[in-house]
Amino acid sequence: MSGVADLRAFRAAVRDWCRAEVPAGWRAVQTGASDAEFVAFQQEWFRRLRGAGFAVPHWPARWGGGMPVGEQIVLYQELAVHDAPRLVLAFVAVHHAAATLLAAGTEEQRRRHLPAILDGEIWVQGFSEPAAGSDLAALATTARREGADYVVTGQKVWASGAQFADWCLLLARTDPNAPKRHGISYFLLDMRTPGIDVRPIRQATGESHFCEIFLDNVRIPATGMVGAENAGWQVAQQTLGAERGLTMLELAERLGNAGFRWLVRACPAGDPVLLDRLAGFETDIAGLRLLCRDLVERHESGAAGPADASIVKLYYSELLQRMTDFGTELGGVNAHTVLHKPRSGGWESGAWALDFLGSWEWTIPGGTSEIQRTIIGERGLGLPREPNGAR
Amino acid sequence: MSGTAGDTVDFTEVHDELRSVARDVLSSRDAAGLTPGGLADLGWPGLEISAEFGGAGASFAETAIVLEEFGRAVAGAGYFGVALGAGTCDLLAETPARENLLRAVAAGETTTAVALAEVPGDCDGSPPPFRLRTTPGGLSLSGRAEFVPDATTADRVLLLAEDPGGVPVIVAAEAGTLARIDQPVLDESRDFCLVTADDTAVQPDSVWRFAGDPGGGVRRLRDRAALSIACDSLGLSAAMLDATTAYVGVREQFGRPVGSFQAVKHACADMLVRITIARRLVADAARQAAGRTPDAWVAASMAKSHSCAAAVEIAGKAMQLHGGIGYTWESGIHRYHKRAMLNRALFGSPALHRRRLARRYGISAGPG
Repeated sequence: MSGVADLRAFRAAVRDWCRAEVPAGWRAVQTGASDAEFVAFQQEWFRRLRGAGFAVPHWPARWGGGMPVGEQIVLYQELAVHDAPRLVLAFVAVHHAAATLLAAGTEEQRRRHLPAILDGEIWVQGFSEPAAGSDLAALATTARREGADYVVTGQKVWASGAQFADWCLLLARTDPNAPKRHGISYFLLDMRTPGIDVRPIRQATGESHFCEIFLDNVRIPATGMVGAENAGWQVAQQTLGAERGLTMLELAERLGNAGFRWLVRACPAGDPVLLDRLAGFETDIAGLRLLCRDLVERHESGAAGPADASIVKLYYSELLQRMTDFGTELGGVNAHTVLHKPRSGGWESGAWALDFLGSWEWTIPGGTSEIQRTIIGERGLGLPREPNGAR
Repeated sequence: MSGTAGDTVDFTEVHDELRSVARDVLSSRDAAGLTPGGLADLGWPGLEISAEFGGAGASFAETAIVLEEFGRAVAGAGYFGVALGAGTCDLLAETPARENLLRAVAAGETTTAVALAEVPGDCDGSPPPFRLRTTPGGLSLSGRAEFVPDATTADRVLLLAEDPGGVPVIVAAEAGTLARIDQPVLDESRDFCLVTADDTAVQPDSVWRFAGDPGGGVRRLRDRAALSIACDSLGLSAAMLDATTAYVGVREQFGRPVGSFQAVKHACADMLVRITIARRLVADAARQAAGRTPDAWVAASMAKSHSCAAAVEIAGKAMQLHGGIGYTWESGIHRYHKRAMLNRALFGSPALHRRRLARRYGISAGPG
């Protein structure tokens, strides 16, 4: 880790960069923005971050990253302080896709995709299915070997950003007779392949960034498989946690900066009951920020605990939900007249009622809060499993 | 701690060792049998006392670990008062009398208690509970402080007082010169008493001044007391989670361990999450207290309000998840629950500490 003086200099450099590069008034511009405006804005912001070396700091140096963890922490703190836009569109590409390729991909797959991601290639995750949500291993989309290809048929849901994606991280069943976790393979799917139909799903908030993906005899070359045949579950397990750690730190820092400021601004002066709750939230957020820092540092030193990722995901999700609920309560009727929230932002935007609705996008996907509690109980505390749980 | 000059000392190992020894000692024998000499043999009273006075020259970050382990063991042994006494001296200007006390505390020859407020819940900005007056015969002390921890057994009581000019000072009184009345509480694991001085004569060399700004010193001292209690609550929370996890893993109903039921498992998961956050807040506050950062008081208020509220919930949930046995006297869970409840009330309630935090938002009504 860099010395204190180096980090101070780095912080100053990031501050200067943020003052120059964070687009003024971007929240207003991104409020009510069309898909095209959203995509163009995200691409431009990614390009600026890339130019400064801030787009993929967590990647290995060889592929364009290599920033020391201490500097990454500073980077995300400063982006939060300056209320910079978030990388939404590139999120799956720079985190999940990259982590998968780096952990289990071939050299050829890495060469093909990592530079392309830096040039703006967009990825989506095709894991969940209508009958395979919390029980993801029950997925039924099949991939049948046919010559040099696999032929894939099935349906994926909750694929965030699929309507914009160039490529898809896909889990499909290659051995229907094996125990459910041992018959799944991991594929890289080109979204331009014939037989793919993407249909956005309108969510509770009115937005549509989740999609269904219908796959009808879609051909994937065998070279598009990541890891061994039927070892896809293990690959997915390895890389699902890739979004925790620094990405959670970024979200925590945002909650503690603009998020809390908006909450204070929404609070009427002088009401001791509301002030008490406000101070409770400030304390909870401080705990989250400290937890994220600790998590990043322990991960770096190889001392991560078995339930760390679940603890931080659960705590953040529910804190976000409680806090946006409180914001909605403070906002009163007026909170309901805000019909759009800015795109490209964090999960809290000060459009409290929409933020509150949107918080279920944290407590349900990526392992529901109930699943996280089960993981924390079993892996973190060693409590006995449910009997007859077919896992 | 070996290494060449300029190396960062790896405190993790030192802390782990300290924690492990404290846990062994406090769980292996009847902690009530720990004498001041026994504590001194372990090096705990002198942790923060400089090496030249016979201490270890460490910081509050180390004391915090021992305090947490006392909470885990629901032990008393006068350690709270001794550690707070040493911490009080650390905030004071150097005098020969202060040095003598530190030597005696480190050696286990003298025990201390500290009286910080007239009522322990009123620990934020209230005036010192004692007042010094100049009389023809010399200095005279009056005042009262309720629920002073460990004052029953202490040899010296450090009293927060106003000097005749209204400046906060510490009066290091011989315990025998004060009226001390036991105040029995539901929590039987510690001793508290009402300390009263009624025109008690005070020697000038037992009036000790704060080093630097007295107001800042008073605040730091009270924050330290609050944070010490937060450490205690963290320890007892962790003990309750351990006990509950062990119990629900073996207790069977409906032919399976009750810990395999989601309702129970998820409640345990919530306990772990709550403790994880409390531990981060307490560790950060201890680090800031040791480093005397400007915002140390913010971290202390967060740690106190969160950790002490969490401990009550966790001890209560532990009683619930133990079922009928948890409600018995014999199970001992009531000891943790009572201590957690009392901790919440000592040195400022969660509401008081949150009120302090909220003053920074610029939207309070008046001085609140």
